[in-house]
Amino acid sequence: MKENTVLRKTPRYFDNNDENGSTSKTTAVDKVETYNVVMKPHSKWVRKKLQIDEPKGKKNKFPGKAPIDSKKLEKHSRGDEIGKGVRHPIHALKLKKKEIKYKYAQEQAARADILLTENAGYLQVDEDHRTTGITQKAIAENVDITAATKIFELKLEFGPYRTKYSRNGRHLLLGSKKGHLAAFDWVTKKLHCEINVMESIHDISWLHVETMLAAAQKEWLYIYDNTGMEIHCVKKMDKILRMEFLPYHFLLAAVNEYGFMSWLDISIGEVVGHYNNYLGRTSVMTHNPYNAMVCLGNSQGVVSMWAPTVKKPLAKILCHKTPLTAIAVDQRGMYMATSGVDRSLKIWDIRNLDGPLQHYKLRSSATDLDFSQKDMLAVGLGEVVEIYSNCCTQTVEAPYMRHKMSKSICNFKFCPYEDVLGIGTSGGFSSIIVPGSGEPNFDAYENNPYQTKTQRKEAEVKALLEKIPPELITLDPFEVVRVDVPSLKDKLDAKSKLLHVKDKKIDLKIKHKNKGLSNIARKKIIKANARKEQIKNTLEAQEMLDLPERQKPTQSFGVLDRFISKNK
Amino acid sequence: MEDHDDQELISAEHDHLVSAISKLDKTQHITQPSRNEPTSLNSEFNLIKNTNKVDLGKVVTALKGSAQHSNITNKLKRLQNAQALPKPLEKPQAERIKRATGYEATKEKVGKWDAVVARNRTVDYVSFPLRSMTRKEHPTKIILSKLKSKSPLEKELDVIDPPVEAEEVEDEKSFPMTYEELLEHRKQMAKLRAQQSYKAAKAKRQSKIKSKKYHRILKKEKLKQQLKEFEELQEKDPEEALKKLEELEKARALERHTLRHKNTGKWAKSKLVRAKYDKEVRQQLAEQLAVSRGLTQKTQDTSSTDDEADENEVITDLTLAQDPLNPWMMKRPDKSNVDSEFNFGYKEYLKNKMQENPDSDTEVSENEVSTLTSLKENILKLSNSNDIETPTVNRSHLEVKTKPQQDFKCQNVKIVKQKKKLVAVSTSEWSVEIIGEQKSTSNSKVTEVFEDLENQISKKVEQKLKNLRESIEVLEREPKKENKFKSKDRNTATDKFESLKFKNQNPKPIIDEVLLETNIRETENLPVLDKVTKISQTGRLTDTTQINADIDPGKFIEVKPKYLNTALSKGESNIDDLDDNDEQIVPKVDIEEVFEEDDVVATFRQEKQDEVDNDIPKNIDLELPGWGSWGGMGVKAPKRKRNRFISKPIPKARRRDENKGDVIINEVKIAKLEAHKVSELPFPFTSISDYEASIRVPLGNTFIPETAHKKLIRPNVITKAGTIIEPMDEEQLMLPRNLEFKNQNVIELLAKK
Repeated sequence: MKENTVLRKTPRYFDNNDENGSTSKTTAVDKVETYNVVMKPHSKWVRKKLQIDEPKGKKNKFPGKAPIDSKKLEKHSRGDEIGKGVRHPIHALKLKKKEIKYKYAQEQAARADILLTENAGYLQVDEDHRTTGITQKAIAENVDITAATKIFELKLEFGPYRTKYSRNGRHLLLGSKKGHLAAFDWVTKKLHCEINVMESIHDISWLHVETMLAAAQKEWLYIYDNTGMEIHCVKKMDKILRMEFLPYHFLLAAVNEYGFMSWLDISIGEVVGHYNNYLGRTSVMTHNPYNAMVCLGNSQGVVSMWAPTVKKPLAKILCHKTPLTAIAVDQRGMYMATSGVDRSLKIWDIRNLDGPLQHYKLRSSATDLDFSQKDMLAVGLGEVVEIYSNCCTQTVEAPYMRHKMSKSICNFKFCPYEDVLGIGTSGGFSSIIVPGSGEPNFDAYENNPYQTKTQRKEAEVKALLEKIPPELITLDPFEVVRVDVPSLKDKLDAKSKLLHVKDKKIDLKIKHKNKGLSNIARKKIIKANARKEQIKNTLEAQEMLDLPERQKPTQSFGVLDRFISKNK
Repeated sequence: MEDHDDQELISAEHDHLVSAISKLDKTQHITQPSRNEPTSLNSEFNLIKNTNKVDLGKVVTALKGSAQHSNITNKLKRLQNAQALPKPLEKPQAERIKRATGYEATKEKVGKWDAVVARNRTVDYVSFPLRSMTRKEHPTKIILSKLKSKSPLEKELDVIDPPVEAEEVEDEKSFPMTYEELLEHRKQMAKLRAQQSYKAAKAKRQSKIKSKKYHRILKKEKLKQQLKEFEELQEKDPEEALKKLEELEKARALERHTLRHKNTGKWAKSKLVRAKYDKEVRQQLAEQLAVSRGLTQKTQDTSSTDDEADENEVITDLTLAQDPLNPWMMKRPDKSNVDSEFNFGYKEYLKNKMQENPDSDTEVSENEVSTLTSLKENILKLSNSNDIETPTVNRSHLEVKTKPQQDFKCQNVKIVKQKKKLVAVSTSEWSVEIIGEQKSTSNSKVTEVFEDLENQISKKVEQKLKNLRESIEVLEREPKKENKFKSKDRNTATDKFESLKFKNQNPKPIIDEVLLETNIRETENLPVLDKVTKISQTGRLTDTTQINADIDPGKFIEVKPKYLNTALSKGESNIDDLDDNDEQIVPKVDIEEVFEEDDVVATFRQEKQDEVDNDIPKNIDLELPGWGSWGGMGVKAPKRKRNRFISKPIPKARRRDENKGDVIINEVKIAKLEAHKVSELPFPFTSISDYEASIRVPLGNTFIPETAHKKLIRPNVITKAGTIIEPMDEEQLMLPRNLEFKNQNVIELLAKK
């Protein structure tokens, strides 16, 4: 084997074991040394000799599987073990065996982590430079050709464009205000279809596969296939402003001009939820991938969360005192970023409905927000896109990247599984590279960017089989695996009222992971501490002023000492 | 002929002599008639019934001489010594025994499969057929050797003489038992028979025993056994022990129902005849009656007030004590042999226990008493009443307090019995000592039987006492006004008419208030206890706060806005400098604050408040205006009525958003979601957390690794297609995997089934 390149690769897991795999060794470019190594089959004699050579006092030759890092195990943990409440010997034994299997699953998952070989990229600059200084041009010059092709710009004439990527990040959908609708494989730049619907398009969305796309046009909602043929015209959904597709529920959630929310089940073609939200016209909408709730921002600065089965918002947060301009929720459903007219940007802990965690003041109000898979936040400010990395858990000082354009931004989306941000502007579409924004390892069972046709068909069937019913959309997605305690209590009470029926003793306690105290308890503690501190300080101060000390009784009267008046 | 005559004479004389000698013993021997000479006439009278019985002794003696017949003589001797077989048992009894031994044998036989069955029930999966086919690895050489083609000569020979095809023997082979097996089998059968016969013999023996004493002992033994079990259970499983105790108590109750000792029996009737004249007999009958009375004494709940119980006892006591010489009514405590018959069972057990270590008991009780006395005195101070009753009452309250709350039935019985006995002895009225004694005994019993329970409670009591002592100072400052007031009233009243009134034996409190059906001790000690609990709670609270004092306060500091030097869009760029300075550029005037509408916050908070108010469950008014009183405009229902008809709803759980600030969380019940949720715990689970933990891991291969997924979804029973599944054979017993199964709990459970 020969190798004569200078290109330095990032070290990979298989690179370090070249002593058993490859027999070559790269040295300088000019000198190439070649070794001819003939592999001989192990003869019995050799093996025996080898065995003799080994020192006998050593540890076990095969100590078993490698130990797993406890942190990794913790990461894959599914919760506490089953307690000892089950007394029936057979069932107890069976549960114990089940528990062993669960543990095995956890360990296997932790072991499988080494298969995630890819690492996220990043920008590295000298100490006196900033990453914001790196332009797309500089990046394009320094990356390989294939990566450089990901930076491109489309100059289109039909007004402001909205963009969306398909779930595997392979396909791009463009829809313009002036009716231009185009779908293409943006990696190969192969066009699927391009039509002008001769109506204004307000929003666009891919459906569960890249062969179907939805466009919210002036009057109705239309569904096209990837050749641009109109499949459906859904007249139940009219004058739609914004749309979101919920892939696991097969729901197309939409809000229209009059504040009507509707969820269309695209697998059966039924509207599963349709009601007015009484928020008025709002075009600030996103969905929470963690629990599939639709988040709407209104002109009062309130973000409300909606589910198809409940006609009231399940939660409301007052985020800003001014109208909202954009909302974004990260992939894990941990953080929500909101921006208002007041030029502020806030990060919220949306899982606990708490916050704000961070409060940033911008120099102009953000027009759009989007989280990448690695929790980078893109902020659109007029003609500029700024990308902040790690801005949720800590307060950042400066953006990670900045990209200026000559056209005003309409919307942008991070491309899944790619370090790419696609920006829809008034003058077309531009794609830029943001190193480290995308998830480097993809799960081909979940989203496969290199999906073949058969794989797509297979995935479609499986997804349909695993479709989640719309009523399971709640704030807590694990609600369905919990026992319904109130009705259980009712049932128990009813049973206890029956005569001659023995009561079942059931422990109604639910284990909650209380990782800390409640806010109030914490505040109380802090207050108490502060008070203590103050008392201590005052005492010290008094001592400093050296007030006269109490005189001890000089003469002791034994028991009668207590009658001596104490002088203070 | 002379000679002949002589001879005759001699013989005649000889006969004479013989008869004379034989007459000496004065018994008339009936000689067996024997035929002397042959006759042609066979008179039926002459025929002798001759027993054909051979006197074996004679035969033996006859054979004695020859050595070659020693074998036979030995046999004969043995025969002589052999006894007749005993008469077999009655058929049903015999059958019963047969069944019992058969059952045991089969139980043992089947029992050896327990481990196998238990393992198969609990193992992850069982794959059938159980015996995997052992594939014989044929070396290639052997296989190749069989594939040799025939030589031409062989072929020719085959043509001439076709080889006989081996016919498959299809008849089923029946394996006769080998000699060893046969022996084994016979041995087993013999063993079984022997066991049966032993049992039969034992049963026969026992059934014949008529001794009352024996039966009494038997009964006692049984009880002892039961008690032993009870004692064991008490250590292992207190709940089961309680059940057992209840059973024993039930047995006693059953006995109580029978008419024993009612003087209706044969013996009593016979005695009754004489009773009129015989004092001793009368006494005996009286004893008997006393026993029955003792047995039929109704068990009393301790929850009933002490006064009532006391009154009852006073009455019985009076009747008994009326005429101590009256044998009909008297029961002598020292002569308790009649009672001893009923002094078995747990009663005796408890007694013995008490006698074993009375010292420790008294210590315990003394301790308690000592701790109580201080408290008692304090309370006595508080109550100014001068009645004779109060101290005892107080004392009894305290005593009750020390007792475990869940008094057991049997315990009650014990106490009552004890009381009864004491009463029977004493001729005077009940006194303080009785209660004290009773208290100590009852306490000691309780401590003995339910030692651990009592210990816990005593600890609690001690804790409470501690708290009480601390709060006593507080209490002394604010004595119970009510009590004072009432007692004063009473005192004045009694003072005025003391000379005119009888001394009230059993004074009752005269209170104008409505009496509530609660225990007095509760009402009396309520304020005290309240304070105690409050104090303890606050103490606990402070403890917890102290523990968790070290928490990062930085978390609650309001988030300060961070000013970012962001880019400015063209339209609004006045200072188009994108200088990346570190210093924050804070605008002088926050223009956006001009836009801020303050009422946005106010309206949101109002909205939240409305939500909260809506969520609070409202009182339900069931009042019908005008029902039972005048209604209409301006007429208000009386307050009492209103209070009665307005029912307060159950308070709801706290809202999630209670302390979250400007967040509204709508905790609505989603009926559609609830249809998907589990609302009844499936069988083996008794706690929600366990059940939820059991379903916490997803099984799909998109969630967990494939290997784990395969493991988790493997079916319990795997059958190989196209194979005959034979029933288990005894080879399974010896498999190591079955031998290694050692979970005794499972084995026992399955064996029970």
